[in-house]
Amino acid sequence: MNTIPGIERWLAVWPVATALVAAGSLLGLERHRRSGVAPIAILVALGWGLGQTQVERPFWVPLVVGLVVAALARDQDDLLHGECALKLLWVMGTALALSWAGIELLTLATGTDVVLEQWAVLELGLEPVFLWSTALPLSLLVGVVMLGGAPFHFWVADVFQGARPWLAPLAVTLLQVTGAGWLSFRLAYVERFPAGAQLAWGLMHIAALIALIAGAATLLVQRRPERRVGTLASLNGALVLVLLASGQPLEPGWLATWAAHLALALTGASTVTRFLPVSAHEAGCGAPLARRHPLATAAGLLCLASLAGFPGTPGGALWLRVGRSLAHAAATPLLLALGATWLAALIVTLRQVRELTGVPPPSATEVRPVPVQARVALAISGVGLVALVALRIAHR
Amino acid sequence: MTDPAAPRRPFRLDARVTGSVLCAAGLLLSSFPWLLAGAVGLELLAAAFWVWARAAEDRTEQLKRWGWLRRPAAAMWLAAGIEAVVSRTGTPPGLPPLAALGPLRWIQAAALVWAGLELLAASPFARPFSDRPGPLHDLGPWLPVLLPSAGFALLWRHAARWAGVPEMRQVALFLLFLTAVLGALRAFSRKRLVASLRWLVVVDSSLAACLVALNVVPRDASLLLWVGACGGRAMLLAGELRGSAPRRTYLSHRLWSLSSWLTTASLSWPLLISLGFGRPGVAHLGYAVVAAFVVALSCWVTVRRLVEAPERRTMVRRESAVPFHQLAALLTILVGPAGLVLVWWSGFRLEWPAWALGLAPALVTGAVAWWLQRHPETFRVVPLESTSGAARGVAAAAFRSVVGVERRAVALLIGLGRALIAPSRDLHTGDAQEYLLFLVGLSVLALVLPLLR
Repeated sequence: MNTIPGIERWLAVWPVATALVAAGSLLGLERHRRSGVAPIAILVALGWGLGQTQVERPFWVPLVVGLVVAALARDQDDLLHGECALKLLWVMGTALALSWAGIELLTLATGTDVVLEQWAVLELGLEPVFLWSTALPLSLLVGVVMLGGAPFHFWVADVFQGARPWLAPLAVTLLQVTGAGWLSFRLAYVERFPAGAQLAWGLMHIAALIALIAGAATLLVQRRPERRVGTLASLNGALVLVLLASGQPLEPGWLATWAAHLALALTGASTVTRFLPVSAHEAGCGAPLARRHPLATAAGLLCLASLAGFPGTPGGALWLRVGRSLAHAAATPLLLALGATWLAALIVTLRQVRELTGVPPPSATEVRPVPVQARVALAISGVGLVALVALRIAHR
Repeated sequence: MTDPAAPRRPFRLDARVTGSVLCAAGLLLSSFPWLLAGAVGLELLAAAFWVWARAAEDRTEQLKRWGWLRRPAAAMWLAAGIEAVVSRTGTPPGLPPLAALGPLRWIQAAALVWAGLELLAASPFARPFSDRPGPLHDLGPWLPVLLPSAGFALLWRHAARWAGVPEMRQVALFLLFLTAVLGALRAFSRKRLVASLRWLVVVDSSLAACLVALNVVPRDASLLLWVGACGGRAMLLAGELRGSAPRRTYLSHRLWSLSSWLTTASLSWPLLISLGFGRPGVAHLGYAVVAAFVVALSCWVTVRRLVEAPERRTMVRRESAVPFHQLAALLTILVGPAGLVLVWWSGFRLEWPAWALGLAPALVTGAVAWWLQRHPETFRVVPLESTSGAARGVAAAAFRSVVGVERRAVALLIGLGRALIAPSRDLHTGDAQEYLLFLVGLSVLALVLPLLR
């Protein structure tokens, strides 16, 4: 895996640090028994994980999965945490086992565990086709599952709905970033083995298409704000699949920007959705957050809009970049799916904004204040995203 | 000094002002040539109606009534997204042109047409919005006029992107003529002038959009003709809501009758000539007959329904020293013919008998209506009141039957869509066992598929 130059690495790391500070602020919302050294250690571990590029190490993916599962399972009082941990363990464990089987098959066929050498050996054409063409898709499976692309998108929404606000965004980001890193690592220089590249890009094409269409359809019918954020996160994971399907390698700079944006936007969006009402047929009174703290609300909505790829936001730039790469590759069906998905994301986000504001409540309605920790987290995330935009403009 | 124990006052904005600002900004942005500005503009317009609706007393009904406004905005977002992806600014060379990217150009045109037509009441999904007043208490009856205007502005501004796609142009023309017929029937069937005027705005905007689609007159001229027709109706409607001011005096009433008639005739003249006697590809006898019927009915409603309403109140409403209503009517009278001058200047050919036949529907119907209004005793043998009542009933029945068929078709489509999308509800139930099975199945498939190949 290519390394990131110093300045770019710094640009990629500071949003993660900002998201960590926001998550630390959210930790202040926890009851006394639930806060303490352990959650802080978990946050530090997650942040450290996001700053690493060690996907090529064999232990890294199981370590990340284990860390997140352990962090979730630690809270014995929270049943939803346990449920999320169990689901993650089942699904990621199976996917990891299958992918390892695929890697072992490739190693067995080529006699080396170095990816670049594997392509060179396979290019000689001495190995049976069915062996590597079976092993290659299997080896990619865990990456697709960790990215949360549909039909493996359920775990992302589950974590956002079930896990504590300080933990969910960073845990999901770490898993998704690791998944993207895995795919990037496994498909590095695959173009040197054209038959393998064709197979891999074809698989990515199908995976991306399913992830976009199923993700968009799911997003449109979801009613819980937290699950909407989860599905938006899985659609952001699908962007990686789309980029790979267009035949372009994942540039370290793009990947770092994607990860940085994901950490910040997910933190803000998941925080704001904790205060939003569940979607209903009749317009409700909206969230007190919007009436009492418009600036904090705006910051949270900015994060949500960025996840959905609103023009002008950092997320919008990522969606646009992926769309243009598809236009370059003339992959029209996938481009259309991307367009439809983007539209669904915009529609749902705007619907969310309206539900947040709701209709004016009766004047006697008591408006409870929103905890200051949550508002600080929203403000930090929002300011971080604005800084990302400013840096992008300055970079031009 | 405020009491620190007092509850903090929630942050609130006045819905009327907020909506008005959003609406003005939305209309302004919609008129810009950039698709992104258009998308933001339509979103702001939808937000304005939503802000007004949520503050209305009958908010539940108003929110439902104007919820469809998000659809045109969504269509514009799609068009803007396609433009952003394929635009050459900021991208390395080698990007294939829009036409080479398969159906993208077609989809962009479809999105634009969808947005424009839906605002123009030309889409079956939101046909009858002009029947009901808008969400503001006093300005409500006037507000729906904004939507067809925004629709025309959108179609006019981005004509190059959709009118050049033949399939889209044909679909748009069909829907526009259908809308013009339905609008004219509805304007005729409604008894109240306020409601009729709203539908006449839909008719005028549809006819003007047909001019844009056919591309038979310069764009500036089509805009001027539309401004004359729709602008006049909008001002008349505004005056009507202020105590029927345009109909209070003899002079004002005559001026408004003349201006409405003249602008409709100006708008329809080049359209009817082109449809009846235009070049191949533009001429279409069926559409010409339909347009002539629409123009005749519009002129009839315009002239016949605008009856003088002398002031009967003892306490007369205070009027401005400047006769704004008369000035507005005069301005409207000037705009229509000015558009025609532009049309003639651009080289539009007026040949006998095309020009006479093109003018006939507006001229004859308007003249008959005018004569009947001045001399109601002319046809004493025919009971005018009962005849017109029956005719209105027939028009209303025709309108309702078409809209009813459309509603059923739309409901069927929506039902089918929901049935198709239903499985996706199960995809986010969060049942991990099912997913585990799914994962195993997928893995087996990944193993077996290469072997089968």
